[in-house]
Amino acid sequence: MTARGTAGVVSRTSTVWFDRAIVLGLLLGGALMMLPFAWMFSTSWRLARDSFSLPPQWLPTAWRTENYQEVLDNIPFVAFVLNSLKVAVLITVGQLVTCSLAAYAFGRLRFPGRDALFLVFLSQLMVPQQVTIIPVFILIRVLGLLDTHWALIIPALVSAFGTFLLRQFFLTIPHELEEAARVDGAGYVRTFLQIILPLAGPGLSTLAIFTFNFHWNEFFRPLLFINTWEKMTLPLGLTIMKGYLGVGNVAAIMAGVSMGILPVLLVFLFAQRYLIEGVTLTGIKG
Amino acid sequence: MPRRRPSPIRRHEARVAYAFLGPVLVGFTVFVLGPAVAAVGLSFYHYDVMTPPRFAGWANYARLFHDTRLPGIYWNTVVYVVWYVGLTTVFGLALAVAADRPMRAIWRYLIRTSYFFPVLTSLASVSLVWQYLYNTDFGIINYYLGLLGVPRIAWLTSSRGAIPSIILLGVWKNVGFNFILFVAGLQNIPRHLYEAASIDGAGRTATFRYVTLPSLTPVLFFTVVWGLINAFQVFDSPYILTSGGPGDASRTVVMYIYETGFRFFQMGYASSVALSLFAVVVVLTAIQFRLGRIWVFYQ
Repeated sequence: MTARGTAGVVSRTSTVWFDRAIVLGLLLGGALMMLPFAWMFSTSWRLARDSFSLPPQWLPTAWRTENYQEVLDNIPFVAFVLNSLKVAVLITVGQLVTCSLAAYAFGRLRFPGRDALFLVFLSQLMVPQQVTIIPVFILIRVLGLLDTHWALIIPALVSAFGTFLLRQFFLTIPHELEEAARVDGAGYVRTFLQIILPLAGPGLSTLAIFTFNFHWNEFFRPLLFINTWEKMTLPLGLTIMKGYLGVGNVAAIMAGVSMGILPVLLVFLFAQRYLIEGVTLTGIKG
Repeated sequence: MPRRRPSPIRRHEARVAYAFLGPVLVGFTVFVLGPAVAAVGLSFYHYDVMTPPRFAGWANYARLFHDTRLPGIYWNTVVYVVWYVGLTTVFGLALAVAADRPMRAIWRYLIRTSYFFPVLTSLASVSLVWQYLYNTDFGIINYYLGLLGVPRIAWLTSSRGAIPSIILLGVWKNVGFNFILFVAGLQNIPRHLYEAASIDGAGRTATFRYVTLPSLTPVLFFTVVWGLINAFQVFDSPYILTSGGPGDASRTVVMYIYETGFRFFQMGYASSVALSLFAVVVVLTAIQFRLGRIWVFYQ
């Protein structure tokens, strides 16, 4: 991102103070955006009976770890995290493989009906999940996979979005490199593995982060497919936990949610660039 | 050019391509195309999972048109979609225009981070947090509104408050997505357009109206199309915040599909409701693409 915005040309005549006021306003708005997280975090350390004390206290009044301990003791929180991790990681790895193969074919190879097939393929982005979920549920049930993680993983191993995203990345790789490899006698598989994939690093990272984040946060499918407490993924487990711990213990619920958001925060701090690039690539160049 | 038989090299390339497409096409057929076709079939049956399906003819569709709850449920969803898409687009654009000016890198980083972070969190998890923020008697939203002299609002427990609560949460969570898109869109506008406007003596407003806004229409188009497709599928937030209540006041189409299909096990009827939603989304998306030809300006 450049330091000077595009409006810079226009605002040359306006005062510096105007710009400063706007930046200040944006920062205050940003602080407002963060308030729900601040309340969540400070409440998670508090005594349960102080959760609803008004006026609200924004800083933790004490560093009590009891709420976190309660979550870890009373519900299989660690299992939730491991389940979410297992599901999200396997789906991510699967999509990286299947989507990069398909994106290579759609983006770099020529074959009859390619563009028509690609359009048909992309049209599934318009199909709401709810249309397919009932037959998928029946299929999963027939296969005997209900209440297993495979019910979540297998249908998500391919993705139209992921194929589209990687194809966009692959299209930006110069053809000369491929042709040079071809002249050197490399086949399609070797060209794909040794030329295309290494150059598509940023694209693969972006897809990996998106997919991981999406399935780490997923709620609807786990709600349908998973019934056993120990097999639940994190967002589902936290929601069910609310009923289990009772509405009274807000503090413990906030402790659970805080622990669930922590990995997202870490991913964000380390991978912000890829996330923002990915959003931009789908929206602008798509 | 006369049609010729494809050369052996071309045919080899096509075979390789289909092999590479294999996994994705199999997955697409088994988990999207097949189920979509099956959903159409299922909508002509009564099926409760336990007993074999019974042919229903058009019964599910007749019920769809006579279901007295469905118009209200569709209305809730449409209200949500309109406000959600409108607000995330307007605020996303306003924030991006505001942020598009010289500032220190640290402020830029903080602004981008604070607006974008909620996008990455789980809607289900943040709904749990907002449920307490919205509490009528003890929630901090009513507390601060009270300081401003606003009487207590029954956010989640009144018919008038339920949908606005879900909209507000949705806008808070996802406005950062559009913000980032518009920021990138603004940076893609060629500098010479601004210089030309400046030479022509265009002021701030005229420049925005005649340079910035037309250049952003492709991004605007994307945010509206994408936002609409997603907003019609809203489920997690009403499910957790209000359970669709009070009454049906905040029940959305997807919640209704979920309850019909997976609580009452009327899979056939649930399929027909789901297909009606699909039809609505497809028609609206097609209309947008048609209208887009008029107002979207590609450089």
